Amino acid sequence: MARVTGWIRRLLDKPGSVDLAPFQRIVAEAGELEAGLRDRTEIMPSDADRIGADRIGADRIGADRIGADRIGSAEFCAVVREAARRALGERPFDVQLAGMLAMLDGHVVQMATGEGKTLVGALTAAGFALRGRRVHVVSVNDYLARRDAEWMAPLYGALGLTVGWIAESSTPEERRAAYVSDVTYAAVSELGFDVLRDRMCTDPADLVVPAPQVAIVDEADSVLVDEARVPLVLAGSADQGVALPEMAALVRRLSRGYHYTIDEEGRNVFLTPKGTDTVEKALGVDLYADPGVVTQVNLALHAHALLTRDVDYIVRDGRVHLINASRGRVAMLQRWPDGLQAAVEAKEMLAASETGEILDSLTIQSLIRRYPEICGMTGTALAVADQLREFYDLRVAVIPPNKPCVRVDEPDRIFATAEDKEQALLEEIAERHATGRPVLVGTLDIAESERLAEALRAKGLDPVVLNAKNDAREAEVVARAGARGAITVSTQMAGRGTDIRLGGGRAEEREREVAALGGLYVIGTGRHESSRLDDQLRGRAGRQGDPGGSVFFVSGQDTLLTAYLADESLPATDADGVVRDRHAAYLISHAQRVAEGVNLEIHRNTWRYTRLLERQRGELMERRDKVLHGDTAARAMLAACPERYRELTEAVGADAVQRAARQIVLFHLDRCWTEHLGFLSDLREGIHLRALGRLNPLDEFNKESVPAYRAMLDEIERRSIETFEKADLTRDLDEQGLRRPSATWTYLVQDNPFGSEWDRILSRVAGALKRRKR
Amino acid sequence: MLTAITRAFRTPDLRKKLLFTLGIIVLFRLGSVLPTPGVNSENVAKALEQAQAGESNNIYGMVQLFSGGALLRLSVFALGIMPYITASIILQLLVVVIPRLEALKKEGQAGTAKITQYTRYLTIGLAVLQSTAFVALARSGQLFPNSNLPVLLSNDVFPLVTMVITMTAGTAVIMWLGELITDRGIGNGMSVLIFAQVIAVFPAELINIYRLSPFKFAVVMITGIAMIAFVVFIEQAQRRVPVQYAKRMVGRRMYGGTSTYIPLKVNQAGIIPVIFASSLMYLPQLAVTMWGNSEKPNVVVEWLAQNLMQGDHPVYASVYFLLIIFFTYFYVSITFNPTEVADNMKKYGGFIPGIRPGRPTAEYLGFVLNRLTATGAPYLGFISLIPVVALGAVGASANFPFGGTSILIMVGVGLDTVKQIESQLQQRNYEGFLR
Repeated sequence: MARVTGWIRRLLDKPGSVDLAPFQRIVAEAGELEAGLRDRTEIMPSDADRIGADRIGADRIGADRIGADRIGSAEFCAVVREAARRALGERPFDVQLAGMLAMLDGHVVQMATGEGKTLVGALTAAGFALRGRRVHVVSVNDYLARRDAEWMAPLYGALGLTVGWIAESSTPEERRAAYVSDVTYAAVSELGFDVLRDRMCTDPADLVVPAPQVAIVDEADSVLVDEARVPLVLAGSADQGVALPEMAALVRRLSRGYHYTIDEEGRNVFLTPKGTDTVEKALGVDLYADPGVVTQVNLALHAHALLTRDVDYIVRDGRVHLINASRGRVAMLQRWPDGLQAAVEAKEMLAASETGEILDSLTIQSLIRRYPEICGMTGTALAVADQLREFYDLRVAVIPPNKPCVRVDEPDRIFATAEDKEQALLEEIAERHATGRPVLVGTLDIAESERLAEALRAKGLDPVVLNAKNDAREAEVVARAGARGAITVSTQMAGRGTDIRLGGGRAEEREREVAALGGLYVIGTGRHESSRLDDQLRGRAGRQGDPGGSVFFVSGQDTLLTAYLADESLPATDADGVVRDRHAAYLISHAQRVAEGVNLEIHRNTWRYTRLLERQRGELMERRDKVLHGDTAARAMLAACPERYRELTEAVGADAVQRAARQIVLFHLDRCWTEHLGFLSDLREGIHLRALGRLNPLDEFNKESVPAYRAMLDEIERRSIETFEKADLTRDLDEQGLRRPSATWTYLVQDNPFGSEWDRILSRVAGALKRRKR
Repeated sequence: MLTAITRAFRTPDLRKKLLFTLGIIVLFRLGSVLPTPGVNSENVAKALEQAQAGESNNIYGMVQLFSGGALLRLSVFALGIMPYITASIILQLLVVVIPRLEALKKEGQAGTAKITQYTRYLTIGLAVLQSTAFVALARSGQLFPNSNLPVLLSNDVFPLVTMVITMTAGTAVIMWLGELITDRGIGNGMSVLIFAQVIAVFPAELINIYRLSPFKFAVVMITGIAMIAFVVFIEQAQRRVPVQYAKRMVGRRMYGGTSTYIPLKVNQAGIIPVIFASSLMYLPQLAVTMWGNSEKPNVVVEWLAQNLMQGDHPVYASVYFLLIIFFTYFYVSITFNPTEVADNMKKYGGFIPGIRPGRPTAEYLGFVLNRLTATGAPYLGFISLIPVVALGAVGASANFPFGGTSILIMVGVGLDTVKQIESQLQQRNYEGFLR
């Protein structure tokens, strides 16, 4: 029966319906070959005889020759299994091999927590590398990239492959060395920044990143969907931020409701007429005649009213650090764009950090799409299967767990008010703790985690807190979290990728003891904006068939409900403050679906609008490459002003002229691209207004940006020729106005405060019009 | 425009899209002339001729326009796109009324997909109803009141059921064709299909006129082309109200100018007011048909029959004109709410330079919009009246194909589609320096 339904689902192309049967057949075959390989002393070649793609030494395995075309066969499975067993002491389970085969086929596999995704990723990487491809394993952070690379190194060594990793602190030489390895582990942002930095090079010898071939994406849903709309930014030419402390002081005097209003989603703030009067009087200007001042006021107000310390950011070492909302970690590289960072620094009365001009930016989605072959793995892929298909043309294969999951997921406990919820939460924690069962409490932000820990201490309990503020102790805290009697209060840091072993990971005996108590108990203090994040949190309990339990506490005052369910309220409570009406559960999942829908719409819009930009960038980079690697610039100059060219050649020699022409064209090309990016972001900000004239904003955007691109090309030409005519080649070009940004740095832009609202009006306005037009 | 299309044909993937769209249109037209089994097509053709010779204004005028003549021919695609349009209007309204649907809509794409699915089911339901009604009319001979030829081959139940099923299936196929165009072709599928139906009748009508008198043909052609040019001109006209966004600090810019503005169109209302007004103008005709034949004619009905039946009668013309003006203002006021727009701008940090956000902005927008509509409304009125009045003078009004509604639909859909083609073209063609 299950096979028939599976067949029908595939026919209808339902998500997660990749057929596993062929993979399972191969794995079963591999099982039969296993015994034969056990006794063979050498199954793999030494590093010395690595030649071409046929790397697994055929002579040593006898007749089972495994060439590039046999990767993915039963023999291959048996060999890598044996290799992993000998090199790492871990024998891959059948499901892990099936996962590897699905990934070699270019799918995203969904595997439950604790099923050993790292090993599956490494086996897949080895498979691709043995086919002769260069493999990049894309991690979510530096720590994981390095840990996984070092952990799996023996396996790669056993198979005769080299492995390297990249961290934020790696030097260009180290990076180059890592990139020439067969398999390279790197955080997605590092890969992106290397690509961005490469595109500013003026000398071919400075290039770092080789042509992309295969990407294996760890935590695929997070990287490919949640972060896909986050642009990686290369910035340059530093100057000090300009937010005025006076502005911060001025807005501090304003009061909410009277002087300014915050919209119901809590995303926008604006002055009331009263507030405008007050500000105009204080500053002595006509506010709406001078955009510069309005911007300052708006930014200060935004920083004051919408961004909360310890929720959106923390202050550490005199600097503002952003918190990544979906991971709960400090986002080291992220900054708010366009002056907001400086405004927040002014609010906290810190010294303004340097700001810069965006030289180029790249979204993670475009970065990953550069790879001709993509596959991925995660614990929660099914929920985003449609998006993976829409944006990356990837299918999801659901790998069953090695041992069935016996975790008990209790229904949500729903309360009317936040107080009732917190009260019940504390009681629940105390009650579970009394039995000695380890408890993991997942909170939504840092402030909440600290408040809760405080309240628990007041009750005489001893919780350990894990949040962005003490991320240094992360490994230690996680190691203890499964121990008997442990209470761990965490933000979403303990969501993804955290492996909590029962008993604290020390003795078998303790593990059995904790398992007998019922295993780890996970309590969520609120549902997240995405059901995937809920599932990730639940997934901390019940790894590898362990017992465990999970429950979420929800109140009608949670942000999820107030923001996405503004005009509906939960059903009435029973006498004890608990909501038991079945409708409440529906409303909560509805709010979550609304949130997911909004985020999807943002993602899709971002993608639609960046697609043209990506095309223009690709085209321009092609030209840039020609200039960089050839004499295109010199020939163009010769054609444009032959006399000057001859004159210069006589003066300083042909080589020097060629080099100068290249420098000049590259300089203006990069400069004009920066300006073009500025123009496009301006254009995009207000393009939704076109919908009011019943025009399609996307078409309008394209219509305006294409001529702008052409104008930019002409401008590059004009400026290059102008400089070429004037420049004195005997002196340094830098001093003649061709100074490149002295320092470049990279960061991720936290784009949400601006990006999303726009997309929302667009859909609202367009929706309203469409509705009426029909 | 022509250069855009020739360039589009030179771009491989665009050419594919265009040919795909054309192919679908051809299929669609084929289905529109293919008779449903059980129809006596010879008799239908004769009855159609008689109907045209007699009463030119029949009650199905608007429906006939949208079905490209397929309806009275009782073809496989007789019902055309109307059931789908009606179904989507009904669901749009239901979304406002039924909380469950509203909740679905809020859930974004997944929810909208479900609503679309409901729309499709409702379309099928409506198609069953409508086809049954038409088959019943055809069977009782009321479809062509002027003709007494039997249009059906048989009045048995089985052939009738076959006809209903065929027409319903035809509607489902049309729906699918439309969605195919939207997905893989160029333009909005439904609009393109309406466009095809509207212009489908042109060649036949024009040949008719030419046979009557080449002079009339020349006049009709010249007037028609001049009007199309005029409509294109006005439809493109807009007033740009500059807007500034002040939530970001921005660096220096190469290209100045204001790319951020609200485009207010001269004809902000589009075609809807004309459709409303002409629907209302059918009411007097309906009244006359229903009560006009009684022994003792009512005074009101008699007056209606005298003044509001003939398209070129001054009273008819002025009532029609005034109705259009009224509906234009009415429609603009419900589709463009200056307060809502001003609030939105305020919320996201936008303002019109020199004008405070909030109420002052709303007032300013309202003022500009009223002024614009003062030009736009008479324009719509004239476009709808000119063919009736001017061509009545040369005696060609009866079968003049360039009615106001047709021209507005043609130009509207045509402009949208060409814009889309251009936008896609622009994304694909870059040439110039260093290449």
